[in-house]
Amino acid sequence: MWHKISFRLLKHELKRGELTIMALAIILSVTAVLSLSIFSDRLQAGLTERSSEFLAADRVLSSRRDIPQEWLEQAGQMNLKTSWKVVFNSMAFADENMTLVDIKAVSDGYPLRGQLEIADEPFGQGYVAEGLPAEGEAWVASQLFQALQLDIGDDIEVGNSSFKVTKVVTYEPDVGFSVFTDSPNVIIRHSQLEETGLIQPGSRVRFNVLMAGDNSDITAYEDWLLPRLNDDTHSWRSIEDGDSPLSRSLNRAERFMMLASLLGVVLAATAVAVAAQRYCQRNYDVVAIFKTLGASRQQIRRIFLLHLLLLTAASVAVGMALGWAIQYVVIEWVAQKLDATLPQAGWQPYALAGATGVISAVMFTLYPLFRLVSIPPLRVLHRQLTAGNAVRWLQWVLSGGTIYALLVIYSQQWWLSTALFAGGAVAAVILLGLGRLFISASRKAGMQAGSSWRLAMAGLQRRAAANSVQMLSFSTAIMLLLLVIVLRNDLLEDWKRQLPADAPNYFAINIAEDNVDDMQSMFERENIPSTDLYPIVPGRLTHINGEKLEDEVTKEERDEEVSDEDASENDGREGIGRELSLTWRDSLPPNNELTAGEWWGDNAEPQVSVELNVSERLDIKVGDELRFNLGGEEFTVPVTSLRKADWNTLQPNFYMIFNTSTLEDFPATYITSFRLDEERKSDLYELFKPFPQASLIDLDAMIDQIREVIGQVSLAIVFVLVLVIIAGALVLVAQVQASMEERQKELVILRTLGAPGKLLSRSITYEFLVLGAISGLIATLAMEISLFILQNQVFNMTPVIHWKLWLLGPAFGAVVVAVLGRLSCYRLIQRNTAQLIRKLT
Amino acid sequence: MLIQAQQLEKTVDTSEGPLQILQPINVSINAGDTVAIVGASGSGKSTLLSLLAGLDLASSGEVLIENEKLSELDEEQRAKVRADKVGFIFQSFLLVPSLSALENVMLPAELAGHKGAEKEARELLAKVGLEDRWHHYPNQLSGGEQQRVAIARAFVGQPKILFADEPTGNLDAKTGGKVEELLFDLNKDYGTTLIVVTHDQRLAKRCQRVLQMDAGQLSEAAQDVA
Ligand SMILES: Nc1ncnc2c1ncn2[C@@H]1O[C@H](COP(=O)(O)OP(=O)(O)O)[C@@H](O)[C@H]1O
Ligand SMILES: [Mg+2]
Repeated sequence: MWHKISFRLLKHELKRGELTIMALAIILSVTAVLSLSIFSDRLQAGLTERSSEFLAADRVLSSRRDIPQEWLEQAGQMNLKTSWKVVFNSMAFADENMTLVDIKAVSDGYPLRGQLEIADEPFGQGYVAEGLPAEGEAWVASQLFQALQLDIGDDIEVGNSSFKVTKVVTYEPDVGFSVFTDSPNVIIRHSQLEETGLIQPGSRVRFNVLMAGDNSDITAYEDWLLPRLNDDTHSWRSIEDGDSPLSRSLNRAERFMMLASLLGVVLAATAVAVAAQRYCQRNYDVVAIFKTLGASRQQIRRIFLLHLLLLTAASVAVGMALGWAIQYVVIEWVAQKLDATLPQAGWQPYALAGATGVISAVMFTLYPLFRLVSIPPLRVLHRQLTAGNAVRWLQWVLSGGTIYALLVIYSQQWWLSTALFAGGAVAAVILLGLGRLFISASRKAGMQAGSSWRLAMAGLQRRAAANSVQMLSFSTAIMLLLLVIVLRNDLLEDWKRQLPADAPNYFAINIAEDNVDDMQSMFERENIPSTDLYPIVPGRLTHINGEKLEDEVTKEERDEEVSDEDASENDGREGIGRELSLTWRDSLPPNNELTAGEWWGDNAEPQVSVELNVSERLDIKVGDELRFNLGGEEFTVPVTSLRKADWNTLQPNFYMIFNTSTLEDFPATYITSFRLDEERKSDLYELFKPFPQASLIDLDAMIDQIREVIGQVSLAIVFVLVLVIIAGALVLVAQVQASMEERQKELVILRTLGAPGKLLSRSITYEFLVLGAISGLIATLAMEISLFILQNQVFNMTPVIHWKLWLLGPAFGAVVVAVLGRLSCYRLIQRNTAQLIRKLT
Repeated sequence: MLIQAQQLEKTVDTSEGPLQILQPINVSINAGDTVAIVGASGSGKSTLLSLLAGLDLASSGEVLIENEKLSELDEEQRAKVRADKVGFIFQSFLLVPSLSALENVMLPAELAGHKGAEKEARELLAKVGLEDRWHHYPNQLSGGEQQRVAIARAFVGQPKILFADEPTGNLDAKTGGKVEELLFDLNKDYGTTLIVVTHDQRLAKRCQRVLQMDAGQLSEAAQDVA
């Protein structure tokens, strides 16, 4: 029987629109979460796919020693594609010329992600390579043609072997950002590695196995492989712990997406809670009547639980369909805009969205429902009787626990969830207090104003308890909105700063000392923006404060450790314990920042300035004595300053900078980076003909790739912004709806007392204006605080205060809340008194 | 003896300390009686009604319905007693706004799990003259019509006792008179025990017994008719 009653009630309530807001809230939350998570899932998959190109693989296994062939075979059996990439330094000879090159011995399949591009002449137009050089052939970088005076078809000798140069390599996906410390690349086949005779015990070789495949296969292989790895010799890398600024940007993007989902969930939960509360309150009388007529608690519980479940199921289904449709449309649009297809999402977003809908619907309605069931039948005689507040804590436990659980599900990070949750709770309490304060302040101010204002402020105060809760959600919505806007701007700014339009797109290295002046004047004459030319003297750091750094054998291990650490840090991975690129200068390089000590200026005493990361790694402080060995000549200098270098700029950066008098007598080569616009690229060969010794490294391809990824991320952020705006608006409407009953009653009384319609409609507008403005103000404050924490803790950005928003926030809040409030109350004001009274009874 | 109140007292806690709403009350009501409770507003009539119907619990004393002590029943069991034996009519009608007239009338029978609730409800609606308004919702009905629906609902399932708290209090004299007629007509048909709280002298006069409530004290009024 009870289910008949339940269906009947549900049908009528649906028809009467009583459940619309609640259904909309659930639909919205499911829609938002689903579209957002599918979208970010697909986008992330797309980003990862693109970024995997920077590794040329999904995972890379690296080692200083050879890697067992059976590990590759196992990977093959587990459906992974594999390819060798063995990298080492060697001298290359052609006729009388010789130069240091990077040999890259690769096997079929390389690159597993991304594409290798080649050209038929040095600095020529590149095209995608099909396959690899044939046996006995080598593909080499453009700059090698200058250094070795080569032509296509000439032979170069490497170790015991000779290779015929058949193509020019113009783009390798996995060159990384530390190129300027590297030598030009020579690509040969892995099968010919052995006959070069260069792979000897103790030679400095990095063996890499590239792997690519489905995520599940990779995970399965990882389970097999990881226990077999030796921490000291092996490193296992994915793009997430790659060392490029791109991978760091990608990480930020991921965190941003995750945060956006969290914001969406909290908003949706707020809407559901507000709607559920109102729904249950509206049913207090119904339950009292039911109980008076002899209904048992169980019957009532079943009747309303069934409502809830039916409503939830229907709303979740609608939400799923809508969410899917939205992401489909948006993705189509993005794909068209970016001219790229994004991989399909897995089942997780659907599970996540469904779970979010069900969990927030059930958990946030449980307490109001609990109260509803406990309404005493006596309410039929005493209308003021409501359910006891004895289990108030249950509400806090339920909603708090739910939000926390959702946080954990979304972020999959305990500490972040706990921090956000605790912060949110503290903030909520403070905001509630602030809201009360503002309301009573505006009430006082209202007493001095005209009658509409007075009425508005009185209304605001009368509903103070409800209003401060409303304000909390208005504030949250506005705050999230501001947060998204600001974060988006700051993130984009941050990224743009990393890659300004005039970012250098070439490095020139190995510049002879005699050529420095000529090259500088060439840059000036040709109007090519460039950095200073920095001298490079190779040298080793051997002692710190007289303490010898480890000898050769153990130093080997130290290299291992340092380079692995470097992999997740900055470039210059081959930095310490072995050859370092040392330089000298009178002035602090641009984009460097002194963090300790003082810059030397004119001081001619020998001294050195150390880069911050290195100083931390080696525990070097100002005043320490460092001993260097430069080609056999040793000297000791004090550290007089520590510097922070910006590794994201495409400029030469150095771990060790000496003052001029210390190093200037050592033989040096020079390095610079410069920008050459697209249309002038064909001049490059001519421009650099006078400097045959110099080598050029083209960064444009890499920069383009980064730009594209940033473009995708920006689009995603716009999408998130739109969703948060819609979600926020719905919460506002739900809130206004929740106060409607009371407003109607008031309006009837005031109308009956003869208050003119204009006065009433104005006072409603003013009330919403003030409510919105206060919410906006609180939101701005909360936004600044959370932004400060976020930027400090999550995004590693420098926090700034956004003064403009202190105006924008309140104004925005006032306008939006007033418009939404007025629209929701439109019918109320239009109705005449008789209709209103009728509706109330 | 259908209903008995023995030393029934009600005290509530207010901000100014405990307030005794009902002095010890002793009253017995026989099956088939019609009893009016009259008295000034705030004298405790509704409170007494709520105790007799088991909507609320007494502070001390006892209510027995068919010799069953309400104080020994829990809330669920008292609900069961109401479902089986009691009907209600209120001053403010108290129809379920999201159910139609017919569904409102069916409600008690359905909650009690009776079969044939709809047929019975339709018959009762016909008796109160609203058979063609069955699909209307409370907000589509006038006050008098709503109270007629409430009367139909009160008789559904043939309760032994009917409690009415100022059933005509919200209605104008003419409509009130019509509602009153209906109430007594149906009561006669069904042979229900009627306990009605009222300000309406005329209504009170139609009852066999009139009880006077004065500041929580109940006494038999003079015009007791045999
Ligand atoms: N729960 C309560 N708390 C405080 N006062 C109450 C409560 N219930 C009833 N009263 C008071 O008891 C008195 C009797 O109420 P009631 O029985 O409704 O009177 P009547 O129905 O005769 O008008 C009133 O003054 C009312 O305010
Ligand atoms: Mg009363």
